[in-house]
Amino acid sequence: MKIVGLESLVFAVDDVAGASRFLVDYGLAPVGVSDRGGRFEAMDGTAVVIARQDDPALPRPPVPGCRLRKTVMGVADEATLGAIVAELRRDREVRRLADGSIESIDDSGFVIGFQLTARKPFVLAGEISNAPGGVVFRPINSLGVPPPGSVIRPRSLSHVVYFVPDVVKAEAFYVNRLGFRCTDRFTGTGPFLQPGGSLDHHTHFLIGAPPQMHGVEHFTFHFGGPSEMISNGYRFVEKGYQAFWGPGRHILGSNWFWYFNSPFGCHIEMDADMDQHDASWQPREATASADNSQAFLLKMRKKWYPGPGIHENGDYA
Amino acid sequence: MATTREAGSAALLRLCRADEIGEAQSRGFDPDDEGQDSLFVVRWQGQLHGWRNACPHIDGAPMAWRRDAYLNAEGTRIVCHAHGAEFVPDTGLCVQGPCRGERLSRLELVVIDGELFVTS
Repeated sequence: MKIVGLESLVFAVDDVAGASRFLVDYGLAPVGVSDRGGRFEAMDGTAVVIARQDDPALPRPPVPGCRLRKTVMGVADEATLGAIVAELRRDREVRRLADGSIESIDDSGFVIGFQLTARKPFVLAGEISNAPGGVVFRPINSLGVPPPGSVIRPRSLSHVVYFVPDVVKAEAFYVNRLGFRCTDRFTGTGPFLQPGGSLDHHTHFLIGAPPQMHGVEHFTFHFGGPSEMISNGYRFVEKGYQAFWGPGRHILGSNWFWYFNSPFGCHIEMDADMDQHDASWQPREATASADNSQAFLLKMRKKWYPGPGIHENGDYA
Repeated sequence: MATTREAGSAALLRLCRADEIGEAQSRGFDPDDEGQDSLFVVRWQGQLHGWRNACPHIDGAPMAWRRDAYLNAEGTRIVCHAHGAEFVPDTGLCVQGPCRGERLSRLELVVIDGELFVTS
């Protein structure tokens, strides 16, 4: 099955104006947004969609209080869409919607949709490091650090992380029914999953959790590189948003990360430079801990040189 | 920086004027200059309530999604914007989400001559 990845995530919100501002400040582009909600797109057209929580058109949540109402995945062709319909109709309802997409439910109660992918291809070099002896370099006189005021936009919807009450059952659905592969695993916690039409380390990560946590841990978009992503994160903090963890770099997947609180009842991440794997990759297994989750974690030092306002012995705490 | 004064044996840290926090509003404070708000105050049915900015679900997790934004849109619940836990504003009891049944940590507030202080 050629599922290429996430196409959109649909959230129910209690403050459309606040959530809209949040997503625009994150870097997404508003499309057709009104006081009832709208769409916020990355460069390739993948998106977060928000709607007022009292909108009757919203699918139901997996559990009360969960603001994620639907996870829409893109597929490469009609054959895949047909194969998914045939597979899922063996034991559950699959609805054809007016826009040609299909809608069903996974084994953890999350409403899922599939559509022919509408991702808009684009070519734009990602971050390039100037390394002695290297092959690819940044153009001469171009800058590695994004200048103040430069536009930074998320490139593509990256992944979603679910808290699920039965992680074995949840994984089996995506692997056995939809053709996902486990790329790496946290023992006793859950798998990183890659669909058949993607090389990304993961588009889904499942975390086994107590029933009262059933819902979403986070979702994230890919940015063009760590410098762009971290610059965007600092701008986000300066706008008053609350960081949770980061900036740093994960071990499994190698993606740079920075997590923030959000008005969607879950964290939102900014990520960059995730590993890609094909079917020859052998999944690793690690115990879930902070040590196994972060290769490193960065910390800003505002004062590091002698000068006004700095203790004569420096500021090296 | 917060200013301090003594009232009885407890040191008081000044936060703001009490009337700066309106009904169903919240505000975060960083009285120890930690670089992140360590507590927040909500006014609920006229009364001010002070809480540590730490969700009981994950020890020390900061709760606002934007500076001073600790409440839902209706102003009826304190919300942890990490995983959506909801708390009753005047009791701190979690009524929905991952830490249901647990409570926020209360901080004692004092109003003197219209000025709001937290005891330290």
